[in-house]
Amino acid sequence: MSALRSYRLLVVWQARRMRMFLPLGIVVQALFALGIVAGYPLLFPALDRTTILYLATGAPVIALITMGLVAVPQMVSAAKTEGTLSYMRSLPIPRIVYLLADMTVWLAVVIPGVVFAVVIASIRFGLDLQISPLVVPAVMLVALTATSIGYALASLVPPMVANMASQVLVVFILMFSPLNFPADRLPGWLATVHSVLPIQAMGEVMRGTLDTNSFPLTAGAFLLLGAWCAASFAATGVVLTRRA
Amino acid sequence: MLLEVEGLTKRYRRGATPANDAVNLNVEAGQVYGLLGHNGAGKTTLVNQIVGLIRPDSGSIRIDRHDVVADPGFARRLCSIQPQSQVPIDGLTPRQAIEALGRLRGGDRRVVASRTAALIEYLDLGEWRDADGARLSGGVKRLVSFCMAAVEPGRVVILDEPTNDVDPVRRRLLWAQVRALAAEGAAVLLVTHNVIEAERSVDRLAVLDHGRVLTEGTPAELKAGIADDLRLELVLDPEASAIETPQFAGPHTVVGNRIVATVPERMAGEAAAWARDLRRNGRIEEFSVSPATLEDAYVALVGSTTASHAAAIAINPKEDANVRAA
Repeated sequence: MSALRSYRLLVVWQARRMRMFLPLGIVVQALFALGIVAGYPLLFPALDRTTILYLATGAPVIALITMGLVAVPQMVSAAKTEGTLSYMRSLPIPRIVYLLADMTVWLAVVIPGVVFAVVIASIRFGLDLQISPLVVPAVMLVALTATSIGYALASLVPPMVANMASQVLVVFILMFSPLNFPADRLPGWLATVHSVLPIQAMGEVMRGTLDTNSFPLTAGAFLLLGAWCAASFAATGVVLTRRA
Repeated sequence: MLLEVEGLTKRYRRGATPANDAVNLNVEAGQVYGLLGHNGAGKTTLVNQIVGLIRPDSGSIRIDRHDVVADPGFARRLCSIQPQSQVPIDGLTPRQAIEALGRLRGGDRRVVASRTAALIEYLDLGEWRDADGARLSGGVKRLVSFCMAAVEPGRVVILDEPTNDVDPVRRRLLWAQVRALAAEGAAVLLVTHNVIEAERSVDRLAVLDHGRVLTEGTPAELKAGIADDLRLELVLDPEASAIETPQFAGPHTVVGNRIVATVPERMAGEAAAWARDLRRNGRIEEFSVSPATLEDAYVALVGSTTASHAAAIAINPKEDANVRAA
């Protein structure tokens, strides 16, 4: 049976399985974006243009990352616990196809939130964003990387640990990652950490494609992200194929 | 032989007691092969090695003469499996889930649709055909996951406790479908601890205990050791005092308020008279004497677990020691 046919059937299977969750997931993603755009300004007495631009372009990235690093590990851990993962592994389907099908459904959940975040920020702050067509590959790369890391995390560690880790990651991403603020505000050591982690690069590729006038787009960020994506995708592939 | 397992050994941790210990097994096409054993006997470990979810420490597994330890993908193409755990189908209807599995296993859309309809009809699942999987009872889910393994069956069909939670009427229908799979040429490996049902449905069986195959053969061969024995079953009066089984009775087991023991055929009259006396005195509620079953042979082989009521009943100490030794 062709991989493409398996992929199609699995996407339908997963979409149906998550039928109840899909609309809810989309609403939560949208609320999340709305919260960042409308809620963060409450923290600051006056908003300058830089702050506004960071908030507007940070919101969609945060929507993408939290989906991959928080929702995915939780759902994959649940699938592990209830035995879905083993069942899927016992079927004559290439593991990579299973992973890609799963990611496709995740992407469908997160995209409306991303679009909504950009639209709501533009309206709220009256922005005229210069969006590059490169935003499409940027979104795909960020989503794929975040989901792969989330998947690898959930596959490698026990469900309890994965859930705890995903909670810690939320705080780290929201408060201590240069997504809603420039990286130069970080203390030196944290800036160094972020220069190798994928989070800052995710912010950079999204910002650079969402408003080409205000932010530079560097090949370095794409490369770093590509490396993380490949590594975590490979790790997940290995874990899914591994026999106990 | 379609499925050949030889010297299969698996330890989950180094130095631990093996979950499978030099297991040998051969299943032919057209055969229903039972794998019996207590919880933790190593049945599911064996199954998971066949479909390539677990790698054996040593030994070989061949399907159609193909080494599937080296090529687990081949095993997954040739085996369809109903796992022991429930297959989560929340959000899907039984019809969608069964059809999806048939097509994922490479079945043609129309063939799969008609086979799905036939299975649903036969197992009398029509009422739930288009109901949400999340709302199905355990037994119905079990039947649906059987259908998922049977809709586009592999040459080897592995069923891990297929009848759990299933009502008695549909159980019979299910067993007929299991036989039908074999009749169509599949090698069916059936994992169960329901010995009574297995006796009626399997062609051959192996009894697994602590990871080892204790014995292997047809149900009749396994019963040969106790062929001249009868089965004496007593239902105790919960208020009554302890009962000592007579000297002529074999090892007995206690489950809840039931005592089951084997007695030699020539002592049938004495056994019945003895039990009638107990009933007259109100110490038991009822009794029966019947031909020994595969279950009796199984218990004689692996011993038994006794339920809570056993503690309240003093059992003939000498006999009890016999059971433990067995």
